[in-house]
Amino acid sequence: MVNWYLFTAYSLVWLIFVVYVWILAKRQARLIKELADLRNKLHEEGSAGSRSPQS
Amino acid sequence: MKKIFPSTVHLALTLIWLVVALYMIFLYAPQEATMGEVQRIFYIHFSAACTALLAYLFVFLGSMGYLWKRSRRADDFAYASAEVGFVFCSCVLVTGPLWAKPAWGIWWTWDARLTSTFILWLLYIGYLMLRSYVNNPGRVEVLSAVVGILGFVDAIIDYMAIRWWRTQHPQPVIAGGPGSGLDPRMWLTVFVTWGAFLCLYFYLVRQRMALAESRRELILLRRDLAS
Repeated sequence: MVNWYLFTAYSLVWLIFVVYVWILAKRQARLIKELADLRNKLHEEGSAGSRSPQS
Repeated sequence: MKKIFPSTVHLALTLIWLVVALYMIFLYAPQEATMGEVQRIFYIHFSAACTALLAYLFVFLGSMGYLWKRSRRADDFAYASAEVGFVFCSCVLVTGPLWAKPAWGIWWTWDARLTSTFILWLLYIGYLMLRSYVNNPGRVEVLSAVVGILGFVDAIIDYMAIRWWRTQHPQPVIAGGPGSGLDPRMWLTVFVTWGAFLCLYFYLVRQRMALAESRRELILLRRDLAS
């Protein structure tokens, strides 16, 4: 027979770790997206800036 | 570090180590004579507690490093260690009562060890709240370093509580003097589980520090865009 206390303790510990890893992954994904967006903006501004003196 | 020991290798090692630890906990370690199956909570409870205490030692060292050398990396390390330490400390507070109820007949008691662990958990929360709510670069690092250093006193009390006072919590099994100890197979299981938890701790700290670096890069890019 499965010991209820043992089962709950191990389940909760893994749940805590999974939730934390999920939070970290979510934060990381958001940061990567923001960084990519900003880099694109900078790149666009840079290329617009280099085009403007010629026009 | 990234080149010597890539993050994916670290993650793979952590997962394999955790699986080995689980195998040893449930299939290799013998059943304890008086408590039976429920004693197997001990392996994760003890390992999480040691890791949470060690994490606070790293918060202390990182805080000292920041105040001494104003090293950004030391501050990142302290912050990451506090966050991951909080996760491990939460595991201690979850597994403790679940072991206490069948072993002592109560979920919780305000003895020296349990209370100082609960205070350590609150200190972790205080540190993390300070980092989140104070929006003053330069000042927040100093303030949290001070909390990290002062809070270390509780980590010492927590470690020494079962040595200094008679508590409901059992006396130490490691470095507890004559009369303390475990079956050799239990010892091995304890060390393998603690090793796996340490590997997980360092993996999570590493990820958290990478996140801090990316955030800094984001702030610099935003500044570039604004100027």
